[in-house]
Order: sequence, then structure tokens, then C-alpha cells
Amino acid sequence: MGNIFSSMFDKLWGSNKELRILILGLDGAGKTTILYRLQIGEVVTTKPTIGFNVETLSYKNLKLNVWDLGGQTSIRPYWRCYYADTAAVIFVVDSTDKDRMSTASKELHLMLQEEELQDAALLVFANKQDQPGALSASEVSKELNLVELKDRSWSIVASSAIKGEGITEGLDWLIDVIKEEQL
Amino acid sequence: MSAHTYKKFENSTSGDLPDKMTIYQDCMNTFNESPVNSKRCRLLISRLLRLLAQGETFPQNEATALFFSISKLFQHQNDSLRQAVYLAIKELSGISEDVLMATSSIMKDVQNGSDLIKPDAIRSLTYVLDESTAFSAERLLKSAVVSRHPSISSAALCTSYHLLPISEVTIRRFTNETQEAVLDLKQFPNQPTNSEYYPNSTYISQYHALGLLYQLKKNDKMALLKLVRHFSENNSLKNQLAKVELVKIVNDLLYRDPQLFNQFRPLLSDWLSNKFESVQLETAKLITSFATRNSRLVAPELYAAAVSALQSLLTVPRVSSRFAALRILNRISMVSPEKIVVCNPELESLINDSNRNISTYAITTLLKTGTSKNISSLISTITNFIHDVSDDFKIIIIDAVRTLSLNFPQEWKSILNFLIDVLKNSEGGFKFKNSIVEALIDIVSFVPQSKELALENLCDFIEDCEFNEILVRILHLLGKEGPSAPNPSLYVRHIYNRVVLENSIIRSAAVVALSKFALTKNDSTLYESIISLLKRIANDKDDEVRDRATIALEFIDSARNKQDVIAQNLIESKYYYDIPSLESKLNSYISSNIDSFATAFDVNQVRKFTEDEMKAINLKRKQEQIFNQKSETTLDTTPEADSIVPEKRADANSFAGPNLDDHQEDLLATKYADELLSIEQIKPFGQLVNSSRAISLTEPEAEFIVRGIKHIFKDNVVLQFNITNTLTDIALDNVSVVCTPEISDEVELEELFTLQVDRLLPSEEAACYVAFKKSDEIVMEGFLNNLTFTTKEINPDTNEPFEGDEGFQDEYEIDSIFLNAGDYVKSSFTGNFSATFDELPCEEIAVFNIQEDLSIQEVVDKIILNSSCLPVESTQFAPSDSNSHTLKLFGKSALTGSKVALQIKMIKSSKGLALKVHGKGEDRLLCSDLVNGLM
Repeated sequence: MGNIFSSMFDKLWGSNKELRILILGLDGAGKTTILYRLQIGEVVTTKPTIGFNVETLSYKNLKLNVWDLGGQTSIRPYWRCYYADTAAVIFVVDSTDKDRMSTASKELHLMLQEEELQDAALLVFANKQDQPGALSASEVSKELNLVELKDRSWSIVASSAIKGEGITEGLDWLIDVIKEEQL
Repeated sequence: MSAHTYKKFENSTSGDLPDKMTIYQDCMNTFNESPVNSKRCRLLISRLLRLLAQGETFPQNEATALFFSISKLFQHQNDSLRQAVYLAIKELSGISEDVLMATSSIMKDVQNGSDLIKPDAIRSLTYVLDESTAFSAERLLKSAVVSRHPSISSAALCTSYHLLPISEVTIRRFTNETQEAVLDLKQFPNQPTNSEYYPNSTYISQYHALGLLYQLKKNDKMALLKLVRHFSENNSLKNQLAKVELVKIVNDLLYRDPQLFNQFRPLLSDWLSNKFESVQLETAKLITSFATRNSRLVAPELYAAAVSALQSLLTVPRVSSRFAALRILNRISMVSPEKIVVCNPELESLINDSNRNISTYAITTLLKTGTSKNISSLISTITNFIHDVSDDFKIIIIDAVRTLSLNFPQEWKSILNFLIDVLKNSEGGFKFKNSIVEALIDIVSFVPQSKELALENLCDFIEDCEFNEILVRILHLLGKEGPSAPNPSLYVRHIYNRVVLENSIIRSAAVVALSKFALTKNDSTLYESIISLLKRIANDKDDEVRDRATIALEFIDSARNKQDVIAQNLIESKYYYDIPSLESKLNSYISSNIDSFATAFDVNQVRKFTEDEMKAINLKRKQEQIFNQKSETTLDTTPEADSIVPEKRADANSFAGPNLDDHQEDLLATKYADELLSIEQIKPFGQLVNSSRAISLTEPEAEFIVRGIKHIFKDNVVLQFNITNTLTDIALDNVSVVCTPEISDEVELEELFTLQVDRLLPSEEAACYVAFKKSDEIVMEGFLNNLTFTTKEINPDTNEPFEGDEGFQDEYEIDSIFLNAGDYVKSSFTGNFSATFDELPCEEIAVFNIQEDLSIQEVVDKIILNSSCLPVESTQFAPSDSNSHTLKLFGKSALTGSKVALQIKMIKSSKGLALKVHGKGEDRLLCSDLVNGLM
């Protein structure tokens, strides 16, 4: 009887279960800043991530296990080592970096083809909106060919990690989708 | 010993090892679980570590997978788990190349982790950082170095130490912090300050800081001097290892500049009475090993103080201190045994020490300090002792006894009796018995008086010997030495017994041994018996035995009835080929195979030695082995293992000390000779008579390193100059050496031609040759040498000089090279020096006075090198407590083979060193040239 109750409880509130979320993207897109914005709500000074940062945070009664993997060319090949059991991927794009949009698009689609990520939801942050000359969310979406994505819940949100804009909105959407689809 | 070496030898006796694949699977499953079960993960990691510690490895892909799954454990904040993770990362870093993925996470722990995991995190940085990422840890490491917490500071210092070769620029910025850390006495926080049992800190970070500081400053002599002065004051170093390190730094300084010794003397004598045993040991080691190199600088009182410090350490309760003291004494005993005779009572009581390492060492040391007076009593002590120890120790003891027999040939009787006793009566494996037989063979070949007794007993021994190899060696020895013994027929009987009783391997060895008796001069009746024995053996059922018997019969027949010299030489084996050169010649013969082996291999190209020369070479090698063990002492006491030993520069006319090990030296000599003889212009010169060792003619750090080798032919002399271009961006064209005779008016050598090097690219070595014609006789000459060449700048793209670059002519002066009488002499062995000396007809006496302040040993070394003769009766070791010494040298002319013997008396007085050289020889000219040109 107790078992039934607790499993129903879990179903409703998703307590105990930890959700794995990956933050990926090219180097310098703002992944580490977003991670610590989420965890401690502040802007920290960061250095290029050699490897990864991992933090556990509670968000709306959910335990999130957020992995921020380094985006340098030399580290990208290692992303795949962390794909297993991932509920969602947050892909961060530097909206001012027009030159490397195609690279970002290539990396994104390559990643989404992976078997282990077939069920993962995708949230794209069009980051650095505070900077002049930043592309809008829809422009980024076009550059990344997001409309081509089939059989996947995805969304794109314009954000500024420095100012803290768009981050919670994006995450709210992500949690809703995960709750709906995976819990 | 590093962690990696002892792992491999450790026995996995404690329980069974878990299955590798099970552990792997468990790890992969458990580490990837979410949420992480920290307790279970820790347990699994410890199992994995145990596997790795036992020497198990994983293939790279599995190690990588393991690493990534372990890296996922960074999500869990448990400190104990994190410590386990760091250990695993350290172990896997050797196999998996992807450990850099942990960098960010580790740095985060260094910055924000608890005090418990910070040191581990810092230490693991050693394994993940490389040249490109080291700078990112700079700030973190720097603040960790100055941390108040001793563990954190130590960890940061160790990591910096290991990162120094990887990223020198970054670590150099910590110099000031490191200096502070040496003096900072860090204590563990949150501990009762007056705990009696657990000291508040070992101050180990002082040691780590000092180690790093030395690495940072090791090239700056003045800075090191200042450092020693600074840290030896006021008892500022509390840690015992740090103090030992300071002693080692002093040792390093003294190695570079022996003149500093006076300055350090008060410090050293102070350290000898330090409260730490290890500091006393290290200081005593420094003083005694320094004294072997620079005996003049060490006052006898200080040396005696060092020895008495060691002496008192022999009786302390701590086993490791006793052992270390004994080890140092043992090393001293190889060089100057008379200095530690005072320790003999302690050493004798250590023979019964319960620790077998110590008792064995004590015995071998005693054997070396043994004088002719106490050898027999020592031998009887060992006889009682040797049956109780294991084979390994027995072998060490036998080796020591063997050295004894080489040093005290006159004591052969008691040594021989001892060896025979252990050979016959004690239990032991092949190695042990083999080492005894080897010692006996040495005695037989170098102490002719012992021959009869030794051979007789070996004959007894082979009647009941289970080891084929040893039997074969003894049979060979009997065949070699037996025919010239007073009663050869005795050995024939023993050898023939083997033919009747043993297997085919031994039978064939016995056949060869038998055949050597056929031409014996002492007993001509043996001929008939040998022939009939061999004829009988020729019906043996084994092919090899039959073949050998048949060919032996054939040889004997042609040698005796047709006076065939070749057959006679084959039976009596008067010549020995130079094995390394024979090997390389055969190798090149087989690999070239131009005409499918239609031309036969020409064995005349290989150097040949007569028996006496061979013995001289062997004796020299054996004595050098002892000598090398000795010079080890000086090497491993320098703080830095990879320090390059400054090559001795050839000043005046001394030879470069042997830097390479013997075998390599031999191979190199063979290679040079081969290269030389393959040159068209040099072929007409005929057989190469003698070659000197390579002599350095420049400073080892010069732009062009030149080494000279003198080759003597019957009517010619060739000087070979090996030139190494150490510049990185300059090529040398048309390199040659201009040799100008020192005394230009009486030139005895006529220059024939010079062979130049056309182009010498950076970091290449090439040889150029200068050939001279000389008369039949011994010609001595000194040459001033100049290197001439055209320098051209290198185009970095093609690695060739720029086209059209004309370059510019340059000259480079290198040291002179001297051709002296010693170059015409080969060392040779004589069993009885005084008899040989008296027999030689020609005589020459010369007296020298040396004003320079040289020790007797230094002069002895120089004379031995200059004369190229063999020191006999172990006179190459001058006693350091006496002012006089007699050196006995024996050699043969490389040209004619005439013998020459030198007896040199030396007396040291306040005015210098007086030498009286008394030379005798078969050839008057060689004798007088050698005697007069000695200094």
C-alpha cells in the first residue's frame, strides 16, 4: 500500500528521481555562466572549461543534475561520453557570433542524431541578447535549421545570462515538457 | 623506489584477486546510476584500485570508459567518495589519455573543496595538466603553496615539483612563495597543541619546499650557496628529510666546486652530531665519498669523525640505520679499507645480527677490510656461517671472496680451501655453484701457483655434479690448463670418466678437452693414449661427439706429423678473437650477402688476442667492476639523478676517463676501426695495430665537440677526429683538422693526406682523418690542432644551407693531441711479476719530481692511463694512509709483442712527489721511451 502511495507521490511531484540535463554549445557561448546563474543566481567569472562542471540543483521540487561540458574543439568529441540517461539538452548559442552559426548548427544536428538522445527534449538559448548586434531568437532558429527537427520537443528562447533574462522562462518550459513526456 | 617498481614484485598473497571483468562491469553499471550510491561506489573504486595495484591493466578503450564513468561521480559531494575518485584518476591517467576532461572539476575542488579533499585534488593536477593548461592553474597553485594548512601546502609544492619539467615558466613564478614555505612552520589546525603522542606537525612541507626550491635554483651556484647558508642557521629546518636534503644540496655544490669544502667544514662536522640519524648518515656519506675524489681537501680528523659517527650507528637499535651505516662502510672498504679497520669489532659482532642483510653485508665488508693477517681467521668465520644463509647471500659472499682472491693473490691457499669446501659440502642451486666455480676459474687463471690444487679438486667435483653447464665449464678449464700442469695424465683419467658416464653434451665437451692433451710437452707418452681414446670415442652413438672426435684426430695428426701450424693453434687455442668485433663482422657478412656467400668470411679482419692479453683484459674488466661500484657512490649522492657527470677534459696528455661502460666502449672501438679500415686510402696501411680510447679535445659544452682517437699501423699513424656540430642553425662545410707538430724542426712523422667531412649538418657527428707515415720505430709527437671549416646558415624549411650562400671561413682551436710510448703498448698479464721482471734483459731507470700538489692515487691513475700497461698485484690502489707506494705495470709492444715491465716507486714529501721508474723490457728502445715519456 505504502509503495503505491509513494510511487503515486513520485509521479505527481517527481521527488527522488534526478533529472540529467546537459548544457552544450560552442566555446564562449555562456554555458558555465548559465549553469551558475541557475545554481546560485549570480554571475560568476569564468575561465574556459577544460572538461566539465556538474552541479545539482532543485527546481520546482525536482532534483536537476546539470552538466556543463566544455565547448572547445578539443573537448567536443568527449560530449558523447555523457549522453546516457539524459532527459534534456540545453544548447547555448552566442547570438552575436554570426560567423560560427553554421558550426553551431552542424554540432547541434550531429548531436541530435545520437541514439542515446532520441528522447531528450531540446531547449536552445539564443544567448547574449544584451550585446549590440545580437540576432533575434527567430533569426537564430533559422540559422540553426530548427524547423527541420522532427519527433522532438524543442523550443528557442532569447536570453541574457548576464542580466538573468530568459533563463527561468526557458527552464520552466523544459521542466513542463519533461514532466509531461518522461515522468 | 617508486610506487611503480615495487608494485610489480609484490606478491598477491592476501586473498584472491577479484575477477577483472566483473569489477569492470560493476563499475560501469554502478557509476552510471542516478542517483549515485556513494558508499557502494567507494567500495568498487577500492576494488578497482586493488586490481591496478597488483599490476593488472585494462586495454585503453576500457580504461577510457572507466575514466568517464568515474568522472561522473563528480556530481556527488561526498568527501570520502571524492578522495577515492582522485586515487582512481591518478591510476587511470597512465592508461587513458582523456584525463584532461577532469580538469575543470578538479580545479573547482582546489578552489572550493573542503580541507580534506583539497590536497588530493591538488596532487591529481599533476596528472591532468599539460603544457597548454598548466598556466590556468597558476593562481590556484600559488595560493595553495602559501596555505597555512601543511597538507595543502605540501600537495601544492609536490605538484609544482612535478609540473616543473612540463611548464617551467609557470612554476618559476612561485619562487618567492616557495622560499617562504621553507621557513614557515605549518601546523595542523584544530588540534590540541600539547598532545604528547601526536606531534602537531612533521613540518614535511619544509622538505617539499626545499626540494622544489633546489630544482628552481639548481643552475645558480651563488643562489644555492646563499640558500644553504640561510637555511642552516638557527635550526630553522625542523623536518629531518629537509635537513637530509640540505646535506644533499651541499654535496651537489661540492661536486661542482670541490674548493668549497673548507667553507662547509664547520657545518659538516656539526651535522655529524645531529640528533637525526639520517642526517648523520648522509653527512658521513658525503664526507667519505668526497674524500675518495678529493682526498687532499678532507682533513684526517673530519674523516675520522665521519667514520666514528658511522661506527656508533652500527650499534643503534634501528635496523635501517645500522644497515645504511654498514652500506657506507662497505663502500669505503672498496677504496680505502684501512680507514675503517677501527670498526672491525662492531662489524664482527654484526655477523651474528638477526637481520640477514646486515650480517651478509658485515661479512663482505670485513672481507674487504681484511689484511693478509686476518684473512684466514675471517675465512673460518664464514665457513661456519655460510651454511645457514640463503643462496642469494651465499652468492654475495662468494663474490666478495672472489674479489679478495684478486686483491690478495698470496692468500690463495686459504681462499681456495674455503671455496672447495663450500663447493663440495654445501647445498645450493645452480647460480650458487656457478659463482663458486667462476671464482675458482679466476683463481686458477690469475694465481698460477694455485693451479694444481684447484684443478685436482675440480676433478673430484665433476665426478658428482648435476649441472651440465658447470661441468662443461670445468672440462673446458681442464683442457686449457691441464696440458701445462706437472702431471697431465691425472686429468685425462677424470675427463675420460666423463666420456664414459655422462650425456652427449658433456661427452662432446670432454672430447675437446681430451684433444688438447695430445700435444702436451710434459708427458709425451700421452699422445698414444689420447689417440686411442679418441679413436674409441669416434664410435660414439651421438653425432656431435663422433664429429668432434674425428676432427680432433685429424687435427692432432696434421699438427704432429705434418707440423701444421694452423692445426696446432686450433688445438692449443693460443689466440682468442675479439668477440664483439667478431660478432659485428659476422653480422655484416651475413646481411650483405653480395655473392651468395661465394667469398668466404675473412677471419683475419678480426682482432686477435694472445692468452696473456686476454687475461689482462679480463683482469682489468673485473677490477673496473669493483671500481665502478665505487664510483656509483659519488654519482648517486648528488641530489639530482639525471645530472650529467662532467666529462673529464683531456689536459696535457692524459686520457679521458672511461665514461661509457666497457662493452659499449668495445663496440665503439670496433665500429671506429671498421669505419677506418673501409676507407680506400687507408687500406694499403695494412693491419691496425692499436687504437687509443677517444679523448675529448674540447669542453663538453663547446659549440663543436671534438673527440680524438689515435690509430697506430705498422708504418703509419692515423688521427681520427670525431666532430659533433651542436649548433642548431649552422651547417659546416669542408670540415678538416690541421695538425701542426709541436716541435716543428724535428718532424718524424710525414703527413700523407687529410680526409675532410664535406658537410656537417646540425647535431650530426662525423669523422675526419689525418694520416701520417712513420718509421718502423716508436715515434712520439705532439700536435697542435685547428679545426677549419666554412659555416653556412641553414634554411629551416629544407634543412639545407641557403642556395648561393658562400658561407665564411672559420677556424676553431682545439686541444693538442699527443702520441706517446703508451700508444704502442698493450696491457698484458703476468702471474709472477718479480720473476718476469728479473728475466727481462734491457733496463732503464728514470727519476721524476712532481711539484704539483697531486695525491699518490692521482699520479697512479695518470701513469696507468699514460702507459696503457696493466697494473698487477693490485698495486693500482695506493694506500691513503701512507706516503709511499710501489706500482707494478706490465705490458707488451703492440708492434712486436716484446714484453715490458715497470716498477715505479713513489714517495710523497712536503716538496712534492718523487718518482723512481725502473723499467725492464725485451726491446731497449720501447723500454726507454716508455720510462722517459711517462710523465
